[in-house]
Amino acid sequence: MNFIKLGGARGAPPRPPARCAGVWSERSDDPLARLHVLEARSNPAPLAALTLTLALVLALALVLGAVACRGGAEHGKTIAMMPKNKGNPYFASCRTGAEEAAKELKARLLWDGPTETDPAKQNEVVEAWITRGVDVIAVSVENKEAISTVLRKARARGIKVITWDADTEPDARDYFVNQATPRGIAETLAGHAARLLGGKGEFAVITASLTAANQNEWLRQLRLVLAERYPDMKLVDVRPSDDDRKRAFEETQTLLKVHPEVRVVMAICSPAVPGAAEAVKQSGRTDVHVTGLGLPNDARPYLKDGVLDSAVLWNTRDLGYLTVHAAHALATGALKPGVSSLPAGRLGAVKVEGDQVILGTPFTFTKDNVDEFHF
Amino acid sequence: MTYERGLALCLVLEIALFASIGWNFFTAGNAGEIVRASAEIGLLALALTPVIVTGGIDLSVGSLLGLCAVVLGVTWRDAGWPIAVAASAAIVAGVVGGALNALLVARLGIPPLIVTLGTYSLFRGVAEGVTAGVRNYSDFPESFLFLGQGRIGVVPSQLVVLVAAAIAFWLLVHRMAAGRMLRAIGFSPDGARYAGLPVGRRLGGVYLLSGLCAGVASLLYVARLGQAKADAGTGFELMAITAVILGGTSIFGGRGSVGGTLLGLATLAVLQNGLRLADLPAELAGVVTAALLLAALGANRVLQGRTHELH
Repeated sequence: MNFIKLGGARGAPPRPPARCAGVWSERSDDPLARLHVLEARSNPAPLAALTLTLALVLALALVLGAVACRGGAEHGKTIAMMPKNKGNPYFASCRTGAEEAAKELKARLLWDGPTETDPAKQNEVVEAWITRGVDVIAVSVENKEAISTVLRKARARGIKVITWDADTEPDARDYFVNQATPRGIAETLAGHAARLLGGKGEFAVITASLTAANQNEWLRQLRLVLAERYPDMKLVDVRPSDDDRKRAFEETQTLLKVHPEVRVVMAICSPAVPGAAEAVKQSGRTDVHVTGLGLPNDARPYLKDGVLDSAVLWNTRDLGYLTVHAAHALATGALKPGVSSLPAGRLGAVKVEGDQVILGTPFTFTKDNVDEFHF
Repeated sequence: MTYERGLALCLVLEIALFASIGWNFFTAGNAGEIVRASAEIGLLALALTPVIVTGGIDLSVGSLLGLCAVVLGVTWRDAGWPIAVAASAAIVAGVVGGALNALLVARLGIPPLIVTLGTYSLFRGVAEGVTAGVRNYSDFPESFLFLGQGRIGVVPSQLVVLVAAAIAFWLLVHRMAAGRMLRAIGFSPDGARYAGLPVGRRLGGVYLLSGLCAGVASLLYVARLGQAKADAGTGFELMAITAVILGGTSIFGGRGSVGGTLLGLATLAVLQNGLRLADLPAELAGVVTAALLLAALGANRVLQGRTHELH
């Protein structure tokens, strides 16, 4: 270690060469001397004033925040609910339903979650809720492996745990509020195709990729539904879009040329819906309709154009609403193993299968209702 | 009143406030949780203190943490190395990443902001490339997870690492000649060079240490979450820099203290935790942090003005 005493150099300060004189005169002293002065600095009064302001700003902001957010009557159960991302309009829509249910049940609803992409954030929020002591924690899981540990810890402390929208490992939660079963999605999509085709004719599917697990499960169920209910409808082609709008656009253009008899294009991943609709629109074919599984904001312009007949998803508000009802029932003991149905306010009796609460049939966005949804 | 004392007062006030409006805030258990949640950022902030004292910056620490986490996962699960060896490999990866920064900054003289902005993307990019962005390593052995989830008595295991690092950095910055050299470099790199100080070696050293700390922090992170993925530590560099600046270290270099960094870190960590326990929206943390930072920068400005008046 090189223990040079810099202070000792003060007696004989190194002289800068002449070409640096400009810089030096600006600085008014040599750097080591400045260093010395700084370390021995006195306590300026303005600094005290500033630190005091600093403290006051903090206190004021927090007290104001506390007053603003703590209003409201005393509540019963405390339900802590976490989206994957607070900034996503999809979850903002879930929140409106959750708040509606909390109001009905006179429960205190805490809504918090990540606002940025830090994967550790969900864990930190759950940790805080465990410390705070809530009755139920309901999480839309971003990252299975990471969150299971902390959810198991919550259960060990006697806090009930629900997952909603996206599930974790089964032993880390009590119930999963499942927004849509593959069977339900397949039935709804087949129903729309059948209505458009009059129960007879050719249709094709634009999927995510040929290996996508979710999409393949939906396709399997779709084929089963066709075989059972719509024997005259024929699925003539399944094309991949790689979850890309442009690729879906190109594949749909090709599809319309290769299979001119196709009357319905079914896009079963959300970027493919606007892609397929744009291709059909540009082809000028008014006899071809598009339906699929998509988000209202993507679908809105094409629904209004009439190119897109319908976009299927679940009702996000109902999902939030049901989650809070399920959480409350779990806290009061109404929802327990063996229960097969759950009364959930305006949704009526909701089906419970094993450790899953099922939201029910998917929701269809059409040109008439799409303006009520913004995500 | 010095800046650090002002900040300490601010922290005490903050704790008193949350103790009155938060649920179960003022408990030993919660103190442990605060330490757990802030240990990794704390390590990065400690390492960034000498870097910023030299007038430099290291934006790559969060990305390097992610890369080290991936190295840990790959060597442990894919290559089948014992966990201790894999953990060492992760630390070595951190040192190598730090050495790259050191080489570019100290040897080639490229401004640290540009160098580490580049390696910020590079390290994250390599981590994502190796794992295709999605591969997730989990199911680490209990003995390793203890590092992030265990307790020694009532003390969370991370605290031991954090305290050791804090002492080491305190010695470096405040008790060794090397620390004084860092300040001299921060005030005037040219002046330091003409004073005969080994500027390149000292600069290289602090970036190397920063890489080392990112490696160690990656172990704490993986052990705490139980998973290693390419997105580990996203945004940590900004949190760490905020803690350092709030702690009174001048972004222009030349002035700063390890104690201040720890106080800055505690102020931010308590704020995040306290807001949650008081059922307040966590977004408020951003607003309050911004107010604190602006006030801190104002204080910094006044200090600099004072030093000019002294001459």
